[in-house]
Amino acid sequence: MTDTSNERATVMNEQTKQTAQVEQVERMNVLEPHEWRHKTIVAGVEWKNPVGTASGTFQLDACGDYYDVSQMGAICTKGVSPVPWEGNPSPRTAEGPFSMVNAVGLQNPGIDHYLVDELPRLKKLGAMVITNVAGHSDEDYAQVVEKLADSDADMLEINVSCPNVSHGGMSVGTDPVVLSRLITHLRTLTDKPMIVKLSPNVTDIVQIAHAAVDAGADALSLINTLVGMRIDINTGKPIIANRTGGVSGPAIFPIALSFVWRVRQAIPDIPIIGIGGIDSGEKALEYLYAGANAVEVGAAALFDPTAPMRVARELDDLLDSRPELAAKLAKGQTW
Amino acid sequence: MSATAFMPTVTTGTVERQAVQAGRKPGRRTDEVMSASMLSEGIYELVIRDPYVAKTVQPAQFVNLYPANATMALPRPFGVAEVEGDDATLIYQIVGAGTAEFSLLQAGDVIDVLGPLGKPFDTAKPANYVLVGGGLGVPPLLYAAQKISERNDGSKVTSVFGYRDARFADDLVAPFADKTHSIVNAEGNVVDLLNAIEDELHAADQPPMILSCGPTPMMKAVAVWASKRDIPAQLSLEARMGCGYGACVACVVDTPGGRLKVCKDGPVFTTEELGWEA
Repeated sequence: MTDTSNERATVMNEQTKQTAQVEQVERMNVLEPHEWRHKTIVAGVEWKNPVGTASGTFQLDACGDYYDVSQMGAICTKGVSPVPWEGNPSPRTAEGPFSMVNAVGLQNPGIDHYLVDELPRLKKLGAMVITNVAGHSDEDYAQVVEKLADSDADMLEINVSCPNVSHGGMSVGTDPVVLSRLITHLRTLTDKPMIVKLSPNVTDIVQIAHAAVDAGADALSLINTLVGMRIDINTGKPIIANRTGGVSGPAIFPIALSFVWRVRQAIPDIPIIGIGGIDSGEKALEYLYAGANAVEVGAAALFDPTAPMRVARELDDLLDSRPELAAKLAKGQTW
Repeated sequence: MSATAFMPTVTTGTVERQAVQAGRKPGRRTDEVMSASMLSEGIYELVIRDPYVAKTVQPAQFVNLYPANATMALPRPFGVAEVEGDDATLIYQIVGAGTAEFSLLQAGDVIDVLGPLGKPFDTAKPANYVLVGGGLGVPPLLYAAQKISERNDGSKVTSVFGYRDARFADDLVAPFADKTHSIVNAEGNVVDLLNAIEDELHAADQPPMILSCGPTPMMKAVAVWASKRDIPAQLSLEARMGCGYGACVACVVDTPGGRLKVCKDGPVFTTEELGWEA
């Protein structure tokens, strides 16, 4: 065979392989009842599988139509603030290459509504619930955490990384001193497992991670979105009303993965939830190898409502042939 | 053309069967393109085979279409214009790279789809349904005309369509409408047309009910015109959407009742819900 025909043979083999993969996916019914074989433990809390939904991409009234929320490892809710927030003006979203940019600004009906509406409904459906906590100030965060302290929420995730609010959010999560002060205070208000969600928009993620852990975080989740924007070349103006937004989607996968890996290298003993660009079991698995104890699916759910469930099922299969990794997850070992 | 590189290709029959078994709505799936054609310059018609959409879609509901080029991750939402058998017809204009890609589709190609999505028009009561459409807001009203014309409750359909230039939908609505009216930009706008036919609307046996879809300034003008005459109006909004099914909270409209999601709380809202009264 000549070199050219060798190349052609390789290409054809690749195509055959891809076809085979497509057929395998077609056979998998991600909605059928499933006995989960590979659980994980995050900060002492057992998840039936290592895949959750990422905050800001899950709304019960929308997503619950498409799959059984009790079958996810965890449901992480949209940020909940002390009072209702109306969020940013429209337009709030733009497309980027393999990604989207959003600046919703944490529109939500507030903690009092959450406690009588979304949380009890999620618990009644049997979901493992992580409540994402948002605020404009230390006092805001404290009010929400206090009200959640006696609630049915299984875990709290402190959102110190939203790039789309003018106070609080990312401005807290990019300053280790400010972050440490907040988490130290919140730690006194609740015994619930407290996850701190980190921003990638920092010079040294490890320094921020240490600040959160030293102040009492039980786990870390990373990453939140990267700051980005798009401009309309017909007007010369930003497409999003907030001008900048947060970038998510497949484009950020390798970036987010390296953040998780770096934090795991620096801090061996803290549970980590890996987030960023996950749209398959394979990508979730890369996070587990990078040192994550669990993952969350975000933007992929916006491109297919059933994506989180599919990722969970694919990962369950992939872990069958990786008993060492699966055993580590099941025991809640971090590294 | 194949489905996207990073989402699996799963055919519509498989997804629908699995969802129905589980008591859920079917997620994203891959449909076959039955036909594709250009209706007028820059305006295209696409017919997809999706038995679930064909069976369940209501007027003003829309479907997400996903570009095969996976660099474009977000769906493009389009109102359903017609249903025949297992097939649904979508009519769209090329506005960017996504719709440009769709315009290259041919019969036998595949395309990823989600839906039907959104809250439909409320057409429960018998009425003289006055369908006021502008530009690419017209296609969803064609399906409203089709559904209303299938009933035997004395309801009537009057179409009031405004076009930029080519009257691409007059022939399409004619089989389903009792009266058809249209106007092109050079002649005036749909409010001019409504003024011209106002007597006719009140003379019908049934009270008028406006169903409208088009550019927001047009619909605001229609809502004001209708509220001055105590004619109820339902307005189907267009918006820059993210997910299209209510998860991302990107497409909101400011209303007296707060910021509501266009894709999930709407796209249909009444004049009063939007606070668009005169």
